[in-house]
Amino acid sequence: MENTNNSNQLDHKTLTKSFHRWFWGALTCFSQEHMQTFGYMASMLPILKKLYPKHEDQVKAIKAYTAFFNTNPMLGTVIVGITASMEQARANGKEIDGETINDMRAGLMGPIAGIGDSLIDGTLIPILLGISLGMSSGGSPLGAIFYIVAWVLIAYFGQRFLYFRGYRFGDQAVSFLVGKQGAAIRRAIGVVGSMVVGGVLASWVNVTTSLKLRGTDGKVFLNLQNKLDSIYPGILTVIVTLFCWWLMTKKHVSAIWTMLILVVISLIGVLIGVFNPGLSY
Amino acid sequence: MTISWIQAAILGLFACLCSNSCMAGQAVGNYTIGRPLVGGLICGLILGNIQLGIACGVAMQLVYIALVTPGGTVSADVRAISYIGIPLAMVAISSQGLNPLGGSAANLAKSVGTLVGTVGTVLYYAVATMNLVWQSFGWKDVHNGKLDKLTAVNFGWPWISHAIFSFLPTMLFTYYGATAVTALRNALPMDGVAMMTLFTVGGMLPCVGIAILLRQIIGKAVDFIPFLVGFTLAASLHLNLVSVTVISLLFAVIMYEVEMAKESGPHDGLTSEGPTDDNEEDI
Repeated sequence: MENTNNSNQLDHKTLTKSFHRWFWGALTCFSQEHMQTFGYMASMLPILKKLYPKHEDQVKAIKAYTAFFNTNPMLGTVIVGITASMEQARANGKEIDGETINDMRAGLMGPIAGIGDSLIDGTLIPILLGISLGMSSGGSPLGAIFYIVAWVLIAYFGQRFLYFRGYRFGDQAVSFLVGKQGAAIRRAIGVVGSMVVGGVLASWVNVTTSLKLRGTDGKVFLNLQNKLDSIYPGILTVIVTLFCWWLMTKKHVSAIWTMLILVVISLIGVLIGVFNPGLSY
Repeated sequence: MTISWIQAAILGLFACLCSNSCMAGQAVGNYTIGRPLVGGLICGLILGNIQLGIACGVAMQLVYIALVTPGGTVSADVRAISYIGIPLAMVAISSQGLNPLGGSAANLAKSVGTLVGTVGTVLYYAVATMNLVWQSFGWKDVHNGKLDKLTAVNFGWPWISHAIFSFLPTMLFTYYGATAVTALRNALPMDGVAMMTLFTVGGMLPCVGIAILLRQIIGKAVDFIPFLVGFTLAASLHLNLVSVTVISLLFAVIMYEVEMAKESGPHDGLTSEGPTDDNEEDI
């Protein structure tokens, strides 16, 4: 508080150490009660040690990070970077206390979690997986290797970028994500997500019926699957998907119960001859 | 195909690395080693049949394409899907004598994988609950000012939670499960109602995964249109996914411009040229 010597500046090495601790340990000691709190404390430790030479100051400072924390661990990196820069400002005597830091963290973790889940889990991962699945057809390891390399590079350097951007711009760093422009970008990326998910469904899932109606002479006069394909290819796949979506979204049925309902539908379908995978040893 | 104790133990180690509260970091553990596609490659290497492993991984990846864990709640946990489900599916497929690349092998893999998916949820909550013990050590350390011990709390002690609730269950399930799966072959004929239902369900299960994704990205009825456009491009025009993605980028740019034009007020001075592409690559 009284001095402005070198110990109150964070160097690149300390920041990198802090980032690595978040990258490898954000959720390692996860519990339902405190969620990412311990991952956060562990990654702030190098920062506090660098900024506060006195042990009692370090102990005082870590109290701010004992508060509950949970967000999307990928985009959440930016929040860790922001706190590093706020902590540095506090160590240099700026009017920032633990409460200010906590307000910022609490205010950001909700929106960042929502954006991160739809952006990373809902859009980026399905695109990467969709491409990789195509490369893996025929049992080739190529797709899996492509996914490993592409995702790990994006995740490591993307999170590193977010951490240092958070550190450099402080709490202005997120205006890009949660501001007006951020909302427009999110809507635009939502379009990419929806279209790719539709493409993944059409490329990889194929629900078909084996129902064939025969006349008295034994000739097939109705092949339901061919009829449906001539109306809209893959229509059964879309119907089953929308049915699952409707159950989960409108009827609030859990994913496990939705799967059990599919089991019942399949059983009835097999018994009345609508479904038949046509297998034998 | 059988699974030896050593193979079962290696599968258990990977299960420790990749769960949601993982020992290998979120990005590398849960999001890389844990994805069934990658798990298929690793299981294939461990069990000595890469082609079959990948085929099972691809099939199961479709069911679990949406592994979103909002607020730390999971519907299924990757450690069981990838490191119990895939090995057992591989045993089942090879003992049934199915062509690993055929559609019926894939549908069997999906059904087996989903059966063990619920096991993963139990293991996930068990690990998270046991971590409370190490966290209580951590609170004491913070209280007493022993900050250096926090590193052990975050990176060391959780290994014990995983040894009990990831390593042991995975090892036992894969070792003994493989024997059970082989024995089932005689009990369930392929053209019986049970197996036919199992294969039919396997074909439908990915619809649930896709529906979970849709729940994330669809807010109102018009949002279904881009989804159906993407489906039509692939189903009717037979475009591959890279092409669908490129076309979707065009719509995204148009959408961005429309949204920004609506907001006539000044916005924070970042460039408006191609931000969608930039943003996507940065993250």
